[in-house]
Amino acid sequence: MPPSRADARAASGKVMSFRYSVTIVASPRPRVGKTLLARLLTDFYIHEGRSVEAFDLNSGEGTLAQFMPEHATASGIADIQGQMALFDKLIADDDTTKVVDLGHESFESFFTLAKQIGFAEEARRRGIAPAILFVITPDRTSVEAYSRLRSRLPQAALTPVHNEILGPAQHRDKYPTTGAGTAPVRLSALAPGLRRYIEKPPFSFSDARLADAKGIPIEVHIELQRWLRKIYLEFRELDLRILLADLQSSIRLQS
Amino acid sequence: MARPAVILVGADKGGVGKTTVARTLLDYFGAHNTATRAFDTESPRGTLKRFHPAVTEVVDVTSVPDQMKIFDTLGNAAAKVTVIDVRAGLLSPTLQALNDIGFIESAKKGQITFAVFHILGPSIASLQEIAETSQFVGDASYYLVKNHINDTSFFEWDPGTYNSYFKQIKGAEEITIPKLNEMACEQVEVASVPYVSFVANKNAKGEAANYSFVLRGYVRHWLGNVWGEYDRVKLADLVSPKIENNVRQVAG
Repeated sequence: MPPSRADARAASGKVMSFRYSVTIVASPRPRVGKTLLARLLTDFYIHEGRSVEAFDLNSGEGTLAQFMPEHATASGIADIQGQMALFDKLIADDDTTKVVDLGHESFESFFTLAKQIGFAEEARRRGIAPAILFVITPDRTSVEAYSRLRSRLPQAALTPVHNEILGPAQHRDKYPTTGAGTAPVRLSALAPGLRRYIEKPPFSFSDARLADAKGIPIEVHIELQRWLRKIYLEFRELDLRILLADLQSSIRLQS
Repeated sequence: MARPAVILVGADKGGVGKTTVARTLLDYFGAHNTATRAFDTESPRGTLKRFHPAVTEVVDVTSVPDQMKIFDTLGNAAAKVTVIDVRAGLLSPTLQALNDIGFIESAKKGQITFAVFHILGPSIASLQEIAETSQFVGDASYYLVKNHINDTSFFEWDPGTYNSYFKQIKGAEEITIPKLNEMACEQVEVASVPYVSFVANKNAKGEAANYSFVLRGYVRHWLGNVWGEYDRVKLADLVSPKIENNVRQVAG
């Protein structure tokens, strides 16, 4: 078997910047907008022309896999086969950006396993930047889960996400960001009247014929695009911050 | 130079994971940069040799020529640690033989470090063996190993009975080997490589392999726990008091 690129990189001894990321959308709470965030992120990567694969750990209705059947796979980590199907894929050397929509039921087991098998270290070793988008809410469960994540997976860029539809975030100080490329991401609220247009799966924001195919009126479409642009800008900035942090750390290593 | 150390890994019955323990020991000393050699008494075809072919020799520990091969070379072998995987049921006869050749005596005098890893099966018959072996062990460091690697049930022992046997060996320590996921276990068997190689994603020739990352993660985590047990009983200090004790990180 020829050596993989990751091994070749390791052998060359060169410090390489990451080539793509694995982003985990998480919160221990249900109904805080995780799937919407995962949909937007997946669509953002498609929009950017990157090859993207999403993994959906939710059950029930309105899941990522139902919204984006072409890009998202329904996954489970209850048994070892499922764990292998997910994690082996996440660190695979295939130049594909990955998004994980972590259901609140899988939150604990996912991060326990990730820590146990050394997911973040292995990802970094292979030039993959692991990131966690954490939807913040004022409850103690979330605050504690967030602070535990920081110590459990210190190698992953942990970014709080303020979903504006959940109200003004006066609890932001409970979610401190830790240097390396992290600042809160803002998910602005979509005008209430527009929500119904995007809530019926399948649905992809990057669909070029969106207005025609979904029967969306032109003024709604324009409003939707404006909203999308705001969010994509947030994602782009997040990407840049991660890239910058990565460059800084490789410069430190080389000097 | 550190005095040579001999570690006997035995059990009175098969299928309790003796070779598994021997393998983790070889990996452990390897990680501590301690040259180690192994003897597999599962003649003619040894399981241990399959996983660690470079350092393992298959012998019959009850035959005199093979005893010479093992014990007469202790002082001048490059390897400081000798691990002997004793075939099922041969632990008592082996200890008897060691006693006869005066090996136990030299261990008593401190010329050799001698340790016994007694792997316990899930039945009480296993404990009967302790009574038999205890008379031969002398000052050996004695470890009673509860091996959970390939069983799901708990040990069904009456604590009273267990303790009465346990006390027969002065200073015996207990080591617990945790369970390893069956599929991970199986894949290492199929790969026929040391655990550390599996974790580092290397095949028997040291080339890059393609094992599942999840399974490697499970093995790494498990091996870390096993080594944690060895650290806890200060195994590294026993064989060589000076070696560093901080090698917990498995390769990769």
